[in-house]
Amino acid sequence: MNKQSAPPGVAPGTPPVLQLRGIGKFFPGVIANKDVDLDVWPGEIHALLGENGAGKSTLMNVVTGIYQPEEGEIILDGYGQTFTAPQEAIRAGIGMVHQHFKLVQAFTVAENIHLGWDEAPRIASPAVMEARTREISERFGFPVRPDARVCDLSAGEQQRVEILRVLARKARLLIMDEPTAVLTPEETGELFRALKAFRAQGNAVIIISHKLDEVMEISDRVSILRGGRKVGTFNTADCNPSMLAATMVGRDIVRRNMRARPEGAAPIAPDPVMQLRNVSVRDDRGVETLRDVSLDLHGGEILGIAGVAGNGQRELTHVLTGLMARTSGEILLDGSLVDRADPALFARAGVGHIPEDRLRSALAPSLSVTTNMALREYPYPPIGTHGLYDAQAAGVLARDIAELAQVTIPDFAMPIRNLSGGNQQRLVARREIRIASRVLVAAYPARGLDIGAIATMLGYLTDLRDQGVAVVFISEDLEDLLNVSDRIGVMFHGRLMSVIDAEAADMATIGLLMGGRDAAGTQPGATQ
Amino acid sequence: MAARAFQRLPSAPAGRILVLRLAAIVLSLFIIAGVLALSGHSPVTLAELILRSTLGSRFGLEDLALFMCPLLLTGAAVTVCGTIGLWNIGAEGQFYAGAIAATGVALGLHGPAVVLLPIMTIAGILGGMAWITVPTLARAYAGVNEIITTLLLNFIASLLTYYLTTGPWRDRISGAQVSTQRLPVAIPEMWGIVHWGFPVAIVIVVGLALVLSRTRWGYEIRIGGANPEAARYAGIPVRLRIISVMLLSGALAGLAGMFEVAGTVHRLQGGMANNFGYLGIVVAVLARGSCLNVIPAALLMALILDSGIVMQTQQLSASVVLAITGLILFMIAIGDELAHYRPVASTTPKGKAS
Repeated sequence: MNKQSAPPGVAPGTPPVLQLRGIGKFFPGVIANKDVDLDVWPGEIHALLGENGAGKSTLMNVVTGIYQPEEGEIILDGYGQTFTAPQEAIRAGIGMVHQHFKLVQAFTVAENIHLGWDEAPRIASPAVMEARTREISERFGFPVRPDARVCDLSAGEQQRVEILRVLARKARLLIMDEPTAVLTPEETGELFRALKAFRAQGNAVIIISHKLDEVMEISDRVSILRGGRKVGTFNTADCNPSMLAATMVGRDIVRRNMRARPEGAAPIAPDPVMQLRNVSVRDDRGVETLRDVSLDLHGGEILGIAGVAGNGQRELTHVLTGLMARTSGEILLDGSLVDRADPALFARAGVGHIPEDRLRSALAPSLSVTTNMALREYPYPPIGTHGLYDAQAAGVLARDIAELAQVTIPDFAMPIRNLSGGNQQRLVARREIRIASRVLVAAYPARGLDIGAIATMLGYLTDLRDQGVAVVFISEDLEDLLNVSDRIGVMFHGRLMSVIDAEAADMATIGLLMGGRDAAGTQPGATQ
Repeated sequence: MAARAFQRLPSAPAGRILVLRLAAIVLSLFIIAGVLALSGHSPVTLAELILRSTLGSRFGLEDLALFMCPLLLTGAAVTVCGTIGLWNIGAEGQFYAGAIAATGVALGLHGPAVVLLPIMTIAGILGGMAWITVPTLARAYAGVNEIITTLLLNFIASLLTYYLTTGPWRDRISGAQVSTQRLPVAIPEMWGIVHWGFPVAIVIVVGLALVLSRTRWGYEIRIGGANPEAARYAGIPVRLRIISVMLLSGALAGLAGMFEVAGTVHRLQGGMANNFGYLGIVVAVLARGSCLNVIPAALLMALILDSGIVMQTQQLSASVVLAITGLILFMIAIGDELAHYRPVASTTPKGKAS
């Protein structure tokens, strides 16, 4: 019924390499994929587009046998297949190159290529493995140094090792998750040339990307996912970046204006409480993860930060809270320069921080609820006086926080990991709000919460704003961002693309900026 | 798919652990009795003898206290280090370093005990701290695994002790082998042969428990051990805390060495640490990270050691004693693990099999 004819260039009667029919995959409370159909033909580079959480990764995990779908079927070369383990997908010729490379850093390239490969010789000296690797490398046209250790390689070289590892296992369908995210433009060019050569041999590639111009450049067709369902498949030649971006984010958004201030609310302070001036951050690989960001935070205002995750939001959060040292640029708190990254100093200055991964970085899961609630206030009276720690005062504080967060806690001495994730989140939020007298940096504070809890969380943010606190609200959810933010900045590749007035913002513009394209009508880098 | 009748909980209630440990000890005693009976010993006679020479007599209790004294301190040394998530495997070496430093003072300076003993105490503490300094700095500044560095320094300290006791510091008066002469001063005795180091060790352990639970420093150590990332997030200077904790740990083990040399043995002898440093690790594991628990754990360990000595007088070899120690600890470990499981009502598995 849903028969699609082979594209030109494919011999008639040739079945698609991969056909998905009605794929559905559900997690508790979440529909990750539903009714997804997809055809990938031999000799095709197929791009998969979608927001974070649109279901791309889940779909690819289904195709590579990491997940088993609850509904639908996978058809390879015309024959139905079920994969109960990733090894079966590899044997069937499906290879995946993950965004975060799965290489053993301390091993050589040759050792990594042969790792867990059933065709590897049983007894292999380094020389044999290196010779085999050299041969594979020449056969597929991906130059590598077989005797080099992976930890000494650049990101592009590591990616070539990953690809070779997949190709050596006779993959005919190569799936690449955000392959260019870590590459330099030259390396990207090399990768694309190699992918085209791979395609020319009658193989297929699925490429997941957020970079719309790269999708336009490399792909033959584009499929777009939204909310776990496929919106459509288009010939790339018929598309343009704006149309792709709009299709990607173009769901119905309920705009509720939470920007209106109640009477007596603090106005937006004219002088910024915190300023970033041309702040850049490099990670230990030397990659710029935050590029030349300038930003003013004003009391009584919510600044939303939109963008696909992994575009510098984490770095921005850490710089704003003193957890990460900047490589260049200036940070000003109340107009005076802050010369070192010291989270205690920022906390003392009234900067609260709801981090993205609360359990990992804001809580000590094995310690008691009380101990965890004291994390921000233990140095100060009434808990900390004369170097002591008053457990009773900490208990009082914990009770206060739990009451405000409306979390019922049977026993404050039990480890905090015994609480549900949502309750942990609320407790952290209230704990941070308590110390956020000047600034609150909230990274994805509503993630993982149900609708009622999200409304509560957004209410916390607007309450703080009305008290004159500067709120930085980082989220992927455009609906939430548009509803509470006064201004919205969009991050892309570590750059703050633009800061726009939320009232006037429209989805298409934000979508374009999220895809790294400057929209007409907004000044790039504007901060005022 | 069969319903699982047991579920593993991330944390086990303390009462349950206690019950299962007692069961483990009783069970191991039965096994030991069985094996001894098979090898021709009378378990009843042996048990009677052991009880009489440990808990059942004043002399036995004094012996127990002397065994407990170093175990309390090395156990506390390992526990306090474990609070920040690090393993001090080098209490043995720090013990020797403390003993050597204290001996050096006793042999080199002359004066009344009231003057010498405090100096020896300080020297013992500094000796232990000095011995852990390199592992501490390597850990704090270069991320070098402290388990390896502290362990390797044990052998150096032990050999250094042999060198001193057979070389420059050998006993020239009575000609005792691998030993210095008897020290001119000793920690005074308070109850039979039990010296004042024992109550001091108890006070130190209780004090440490209070410091860890009732001071800002202790709070920061606990957070740093439970989640270093959260500690960084809260602005706790984790590196400084690591340095202070490791030095404290070394100081405790060094103090144990000083107590042993000045209170119990009265000489520096080769091999005198008697595995107290390593047994401190066992004590700490038994104490499950709580300083107060170090006291009963050290008592149990002292009981085992003391019983071992009694058994050796009954023609049982030292290896049998070691095997028994191992069996008891092994059973306790199983008991601890079982304490994490609780039975769940067996229900049909929910959801469809996929």
